[in-house]
Amino acid sequence: MMKVEYINPFVMAAFSVLESVLGQEPTKGALAMRPSTFTSQQCNIITGIAGQIEGQVIYGMSLITADKIASAMIGQPIRTFDQLAASAIAELGNMITGNAMSLMAETGYTCDITPPSIIRGTNVKISTLSIPALVIPVHIEQGEIELTVSLREK
Amino acid sequence: MAKRILITDDALFMRVTLKNILSKSGYEIVGEAANGRESVELYKSQKPDLVTMDITMPEMDGITAVREIKKVDPNANIIMCTAMGQKSMVLEAVSAGAKDFLVKPFQPDKVVEAVQKLIG
Repeated sequence: MMKVEYINPFVMAAFSVLESVLGQEPTKGALAMRPSTFTSQQCNIITGIAGQIEGQVIYGMSLITADKIASAMIGQPIRTFDQLAASAIAELGNMITGNAMSLMAETGYTCDITPPSIIRGTNVKISTLSIPALVIPVHIEQGEIELTVSLREK
Repeated sequence: MAKRILITDDALFMRVTLKNILSKSGYEIVGEAANGRESVELYKSQKPDLVTMDITMPEMDGITAVREIKKVDPNANIIMCTAMGQKSMVLEAVSAGAKDFLVKPFQPDKVVEAVQKLIG
């Protein structure tokens, strides 16, 4: 069973990272269960977690939101979603997951993270297989980021 | 002469960001490594005054790279710049030989402050 308490460090980390990187206070929406297979957002940052807790955390957003966040991070509007923009968006996911791991370590769970990857496209199906997932939307000026947390204790 | 810095991070965005911050403060960026292995190689060829080091990277992670660089130069100045700020990670990096530890996301002035403290 996916524990609801696993999602809190990610929400807290998302808030502090977004506030630091984008200089604004996000708001969160309602927590919901994900079916084991779901249609992804247009742009997804996937970060893996291994250790006492294992699984994936996926940050999903629209292409427009991804462009806007990348522009804000780089400090100038991006013309195309190039390598630098992809790297900025991936780093956002890396920072949120990394910061969440620090919070988890405080509660006694030691875990490592994998370098992030990005999946872009419409109507992509994602399956977290045997690990159930919880989703929570986080709202910022640039749009919405959906945090899908799919973790289990090893 | 400007102090020379080697940047290590698998994320292009972070390399560009660190390069901008440090160049603006008058440092010379002598190399950009995308993983630990590249960083060790560039350390040997460039002999920089300071290295910034990410931890989670493909090929060779940052902690291993710190140990490898310390074998080459026990006095190497290395600052960890990573999203993983848990105590165990900090302790491991410090025991490997890192001299400071910055957790991403960082503010530019904190980066410059940490670099100045080590190499002026």
